[in-house]
Amino acid sequence: MAVFEVFQQAREGKAFEHGGNVVAPDAEMAILYAREFYGRRQEAHRLWVVPRECIVEINDPDLLHPPAVDRSYRTVGGYSVRDTLRATRGAVAGSAQPD
Amino acid sequence: MSDNATNTDTTALQTLLTALADDEFILGYRNSEWTGIAPMLEEDVAFSSMSQDEIGHARLLYQMLAELTGTPADRIAYAREPGEFLNCQLVERRKLDWAHAIARYFLYDTADHVRVESLTRSSYAPLANAMQKIVREEKYHLMHGDIWVKRLAGFSPDARERLTSALESLWPDALGMFEPLPGEAELVASGILPSATSDMQAEWLEQVAPYFESLGLPCPVERDASTGRYVPTVEPVYGGRRGEHTPELAELWEEMTSVYRLDPEAVW
Repeated sequence: MAVFEVFQQAREGKAFEHGGNVVAPDAEMAILYAREFYGRRQEAHRLWVVPRECIVEINDPDLLHPPAVDRSYRTVGGYSVRDTLRATRGAVAGSAQPD
Repeated sequence: MSDNATNTDTTALQTLLTALADDEFILGYRNSEWTGIAPMLEEDVAFSSMSQDEIGHARLLYQMLAELTGTPADRIAYAREPGEFLNCQLVERRKLDWAHAIARYFLYDTADHVRVESLTRSSYAPLANAMQKIVREEKYHLMHGDIWVKRLAGFSPDARERLTSALESLWPDALGMFEPLPGEAELVASGILPSATSDMQAEWLEQVAPYFESLGLPCPVERDASTGRYVPTVEPVYGGRRGEHTPELAELWEEMTSVYRLDPEAVW
């Protein structure tokens, strides 16, 4: 017996969503049961029935949740340009003031 | 009532609807006896759900009868005596092993499919409409039956032997599904029954004989030299359409109606 994961597409063009799984001896029977569990009440336009062992899983937190290193220097928002400008203008104006 | 069914056909129409409904109701009951004990959980859910489908079809037909007769559908289903049931004897047979359940359901479903398909063209509009819905639902049942028959036929010698002996014992009962109906001539003449039971039987055998032959499973038929049609080589079991049943229906009836009979007037 093997576990088959079942993905449902509610309407044409919509993304498939994981519905759940069925346990069956082979793909033929998995299709039989997938329809019964996940497609009998008109809730699915299309089903994908995938042997769980064919799914390649990535769940390494170092890959998926990289540590919160400050990479703000890569974006404009990372620079406090406005504050710097204001400070610079202030300094320039101050120095231009007649005595 | 549809314009096409005149008063003269009413009795025959009621007989037809009762036979159709009782077949579905009794088979639904028998198959539901597998709830909780099927070979796999997934199968348990699937088989139970198909039993519900059959009982749902019965309900549709009893309701049609209720409109014709003024008797509530529940009373038609639960308050008749066993001798008033018009199901074929195939469906009342006691639950035996899984191979027997699959063999019976396969024989029934393939034959019922021919019948349902034909009745989608009935001149009695409510029946034709109901059958157009049912025919789509039956596609899944046929797929289920096909997968299981092939599996049992090819899996292990034990499974094959059980399937073979179940088919051998069930064939005469299965042919009883096409027992001529009382009032059939009228029903055919008015178009309520678009094909005679004998024609439906021939069509059914034409479909299943090559299938069973390809799997090396029992199918007691031969081609009739004069008509070119398949005819059975075993004696069909008739009587169901006239209310004649085995003691196995009385047993089933006893349990099936036990709650209803506690208080038939109860409002639930």
